[in-house]
Amino acid sequence: MAAAKSFADKLSFEQIKIELLNTAYGNDRTLIAKLDPRTLFLWYTFFGIAPWFIYSKMILAGMLVFVIGTTIMTKVSRLIIFILIMGLLGESGYLLIASFFFGGNLGIIVPLLTLTMKLSVISLASITAFCSMSPERLGEGLLRIGVPGQVSFSISYGYRMLPTLFEEYNHIFMSYRLRGKSPEKHGLFYFRTVIYFIKLAVKSFYPLLLSMAKRARTTVEALETKGGQYAFRNPAVKKLKLAKLRIGKNDYFFLLISVLYLMSIFISSHYVQF
Amino acid sequence: MTQIKERYTLTQPQKMMVFILSMSLYGLSNMITELVPEVNIGPVNFSIEYFAFIPLTLCILFHPFYAAIGASIGEVIFGEVMLGQFSGFGEIEKLVIFTLAMYVAGIIVNNPKNKVQVGIAAMTGVIIHQFLNMISDITKVWIGVDDFEAVSGLPQSVVAIEGFSFLNDVLFSGILFALLPTLYLVPRLYGKIEPLLGMKPRDNKTKYPISGILKPRFIIIGVLLSAVAMGCEFLSEAGIDIFEWEAEFGDTAIWISLAAAAVVALITIIVLVTGKNKAKRSMANE
Repeated sequence: MAAAKSFADKLSFEQIKIELLNTAYGNDRTLIAKLDPRTLFLWYTFFGIAPWFIYSKMILAGMLVFVIGTTIMTKVSRLIIFILIMGLLGESGYLLIASFFFGGNLGIIVPLLTLTMKLSVISLASITAFCSMSPERLGEGLLRIGVPGQVSFSISYGYRMLPTLFEEYNHIFMSYRLRGKSPEKHGLFYFRTVIYFIKLAVKSFYPLLLSMAKRARTTVEALETKGGQYAFRNPAVKKLKLAKLRIGKNDYFFLLISVLYLMSIFISSHYVQF
Repeated sequence: MTQIKERYTLTQPQKMMVFILSMSLYGLSNMITELVPEVNIGPVNFSIEYFAFIPLTLCILFHPFYAAIGASIGEVIFGEVMLGQFSGFGEIEKLVIFTLAMYVAGIIVNNPKNKVQVGIAAMTGVIIHQFLNMISDITKVWIGVDDFEAVSGLPQSVVAIEGFSFLNDVLFSGILFALLPTLYLVPRLYGKIEPLLGMKPRDNKTKYPISGILKPRFIIIGVLLSAVAMGCEFLSEAGIDIFEWEAEFGDTAIWISLAAAAVVALITIIVLVTGKNKAKRSMANE
């Protein structure tokens, strides 16, 4: 019970809030974070799609080494990498075990390994490209490649509102707990307690839905006084907003290195086969 | 009221309100589901997949399209971008599938007071979403593994695992977190939440904008996406061929595969740019 309590303490809402802001704003000083969002989008376009169509283990391994290098450069939090590895291992592990039931043999390991390698390249590439990007830069980048202005607005709005919403939800949840009566017995496998908490979690959304509706209205009214709808679709506004985006020497350098590296592994894969 | 069937229309700011409401709430719920631990009993996984009742409720009460797209963007922003798990192309797929499922759930209901309709809509939404997810997961392994059918046991196991998780999600998450909460919330919120956004409640006199489904932008996006999907499929076939050539033709194959990868990148950029222009044009038409 004591262990459960200290675990619950660590998982407080406050802690999570801080952790989240750290992920978003913690590492925007790295070399990759300083690149233009467009460069990273272009880079990701290749690394996110190409692995699906490459079946040479040599090339995939080369790409994997490269994206591992770039991921280390972004100094991304260990938690994210841990989640990623668990997900990848879990998926292939399940497939491996299940295939034994259908008369598979150990020969399945090689294709599964290739698949895992592909997925790793793709996920690490996305971590490199997007985790180091601060939310504003991501929003600007998306706006630049033609995603509607509402999306980049939503990103900034989300970051602004999340702590408030979290706190409000927490308050509602706690007041339900204060006023309500928790089940006297935990039941089999804590069944009653779990049901009780699920019910509370769902019911807490009812007041939140109403108060959020009010808040959405206030937001849109404020947006309208500043000509929000007009600004979303006016090219001049967009141009002004994105004036600071610039592709510099570092961007060309980064892309050049990537292309040279890719070419070298494509060529060497021809001579080295395994 | 001379017209019996009036079109359910919203002004631009009202659409934005529905969008923001749906985005923030579903985004928040996504973060909460990330925090709740999973329980595994054997292969059966009792995790809270998602609080599907929030987008379902909002799609039933408001304009389904804006509520659906708001919810899926909220999921991407709160559940992925903020947690540092944004994964580029994977998000586009999630966005399309989820929006489609919730939108269909929303247009099924024409009278939010009718519990049977609401229940059917909630389950339909979850089933469509999980089914499309299952198909996309199976396709991914199929494209990802060279000579998928030749590997003994793999096709069956993929289908078995995905099929099982489909049933698990529909029966567990679907009933507990979509059906029951939606049935609880919709009648309570109906008529209460709409005035807060300055609109009339939807009733069975207002017709669903059938033309809303067939809006030019929706068609363009659909056509573009299926074109991209087909292009990928095509290229994947070509990709396998290229690899087989390598043994025979040697050097040239390297450049062909390099070019193929470059073409994929180029097509994506072109699609993004034209998509932008088309969206702009259709916005101007509205």
